[in-house]
Amino acid sequence: MLPFVPSLAQADETIVDWTRNRVQEGLVKPLSKLERSSFSRGRPEPHERRVRVLQMMPSRDKKDRAFMAYAIDVRYGNEWQQNDLVGCAYRGSGNLYVKLGDEYRPAGFLLGKDAEPVPDACVPAAPPSA
Amino acid sequence: MARFLAQLPRRSFLLLMLFGSVLITLSSLSYFDFGARPFFMIEKMPLRFEALWLASLRIHVATAIVTFPLCLVLMTRWIQRRPALHRSLGRFTGYAVLALLVPSGVVLAFDAKGGAFVSVGFLLTGAIVAAALVLGIGAARRRDFVAHRRAMNHVVAQMSVAVTSRAMILGLDRLGFEPELAYVVSLWVPVLLSALVAELASGSVSLKRIGNEISPFTVLARDRAPVRSVPRAGR
Repeated sequence: MLPFVPSLAQADETIVDWTRNRVQEGLVKPLSKLERSSFSRGRPEPHERRVRVLQMMPSRDKKDRAFMAYAIDVRYGNEWQQNDLVGCAYRGSGNLYVKLGDEYRPAGFLLGKDAEPVPDACVPAAPPSA
Repeated sequence: MARFLAQLPRRSFLLLMLFGSVLITLSSLSYFDFGARPFFMIEKMPLRFEALWLASLRIHVATAIVTFPLCLVLMTRWIQRRPALHRSLGRFTGYAVLALLVPSGVVLAFDAKGGAFVSVGFLLTGAIVAAALVLGIGAARRRDFVAHRRAMNHVVAQMSVAVTSRAMILGLDRLGFEPELAYVVSLWVPVLLSALVAELASGSVSLKRIGNEISPFTVLARDRAPVRSVPRAGR
């Protein structure tokens, strides 16, 4: 019987891998390609970025849409700084959001696109009361 | 030849700063894309007063792009031999710095990376520029050109921090310094060193004189004076 039961662990790994790849392609790579002047008071380009997926199972928001939380760490020299960016990736639409202050905005905002905060994005719905 | 060599440090400094000013201008053009937020702003968000901050950034950068090169031109012997032109350019530059550059810089200082310690650094450099300008303009009106020169040395020195600070940030990044620490060091070291160099360049402070005053030999000689001076009573 057991070999016929679908492996939930496999499905969870898949969504974790999907999230990691989605953030890598949708945010990390475009951020690295962003033309930034080196002669600036702005923060220098990190020497490396890495994506961490913060959960194994998706959460659901108020509209019952599944999303996965992620964090991007950055490295300067030998030191890694965790949670340089945090946000979430929606499984259905593939939309990425980043947290700025207390609000979540579409990740395109970091790439220079105009984007307003999206209320309730990346916020897990409250569990139903008993 | 001797005169050329004597002028070389000053001319090198002016050329280097002019080059730095051009680099800053080129790197700041994106701030004037009114359809997008500059990355420099995005990395600071959330900002309490976003519109005010962005307007201040644009005013500050636009004013600096014009006034820093003008300050460098005003330091040249060529313009100093033309008093009427020097006065006109000087007035325009001085008033632009006082009315636009310094106030916008004050607004930006409060949201500087690195917190209060860095904000204080930016406020200090702005205060030196403002005070030196006011004193320098007053000195020029009194035709006290020695005091005017000394004050303007401080103005240019502090404005040069824009270039030296950025160069230090680049250098420290290459050396693998953590960005936050690099930012603090790259602000305070140029601000303080520039003030010191401005004083030295004005001749009001002499390293040789300071060295003589604090030399252990001088101190020793004073302490071991064999004869104490005897106050003479008047007859």
